[in-house]
Amino acid sequence: MRQLIFAIMAFAMLASAPAVAQTVGFAEAIKMLGASCGKDIETYCKSASLANNGITNCLEENKAKVSAQCNADRVTVLSLIRERLAAQASVAKICSRDSAQYCKGVKEGAGHILRCLLKAKPSVSAKCNTAIDMAGYR
Amino acid sequence: MRTYLLAGLSAAILAVSSVGVAAQTKLNRNEIINSLQGAQQEVDLTADQMQKAAIENIRKYPGANSPHDMPLSAKLATLRQFNVEITFDFDSARIRPESYETVGVIADALHTPYLQGQTFVIVGHTDAKGPRQYNLDLSIKRAQAVREALVTTFQVPAQYLFAVGLGEEQLRDPSKPDAAINRRVQLINLGYK
Repeated sequence: MRQLIFAIMAFAMLASAPAVAQTVGFAEAIKMLGASCGKDIETYCKSASLANNGITNCLEENKAKVSAQCNADRVTVLSLIRERLAAQASVAKICSRDSAQYCKGVKEGAGHILRCLLKAKPSVSAKCNTAIDMAGYR
Repeated sequence: MRTYLLAGLSAAILAVSSVGVAAQTKLNRNEIINSLQGAQQEVDLTADQMQKAAIENIRKYPGANSPHDMPLSAKLATLRQFNVEITFDFDSARIRPESYETVGVIADALHTPYLQGQTFVIVGHTDAKGPRQYNLDLSIKRAQAVREALVTTFQVPAQYLFAVGLGEEQLRDPSKPDAAINRRVQLINLGYK
């Protein structure tokens, strides 16, 4: 019985920690595009480039011909990237009070305040620490 | 049950490492961060100077192969840097799908506070097969393709990111000029500007 409780606790920790604390990184998101759409990209998007969402745009234009898996995942990939960018963009606002309190006098811009907030983790509010985790900043 | 969990975990770790050996070496974000962070506050070098040095090297010492390293190579060697392998279509600057993840890992690293605010150059290199000017031009296009993907699709701030192509002017292994090891994309930290 004790062993079972241990197992359940371990499982709960494994399962809950990443779900609460993180969005998915750019690497993990775009890797899905290469894996699920690699063949379709080589067939229909031979002249499209990764820049300016060129590949996802091309797949969208060819959605009638692209595999079902790829059609599902190309949409997911775009939203994962969007979520991560949004998470990063929201940190400054969510952490504004912490920045004022713990990073007073730190130069703005060039990531100085974020580096200060990372160092001040034990004092920083839970809300701000979570925002930093969600942004993939740690 | 606990043993099962442990067994499951170690199997997963094994699976990951064997994939890493089989395909390209599995790249991780922190590896890039650790290699690139801690630049000198002011690096007395610009992307433009690097590009000019390669062009000048071909003009001054023409021929099938450069007789020696570029004048800037000693200086470049002192800077914080990291090499990645990105595959492109043959004779083209189009990044292949199997390398999307690598570009994503670079984006993840450059977005972190550890590297924010520092200036980076994406440097393209080729091996020594084919004419030097051709290799230079191709490496410039490839470095620009990586930069473009990073600043648009992944929104890395454009003002901190430059692209330079050095063609075959800066071989990684001059004793094997045609070897694959020379084909690489290098990230170099030029510090806070």
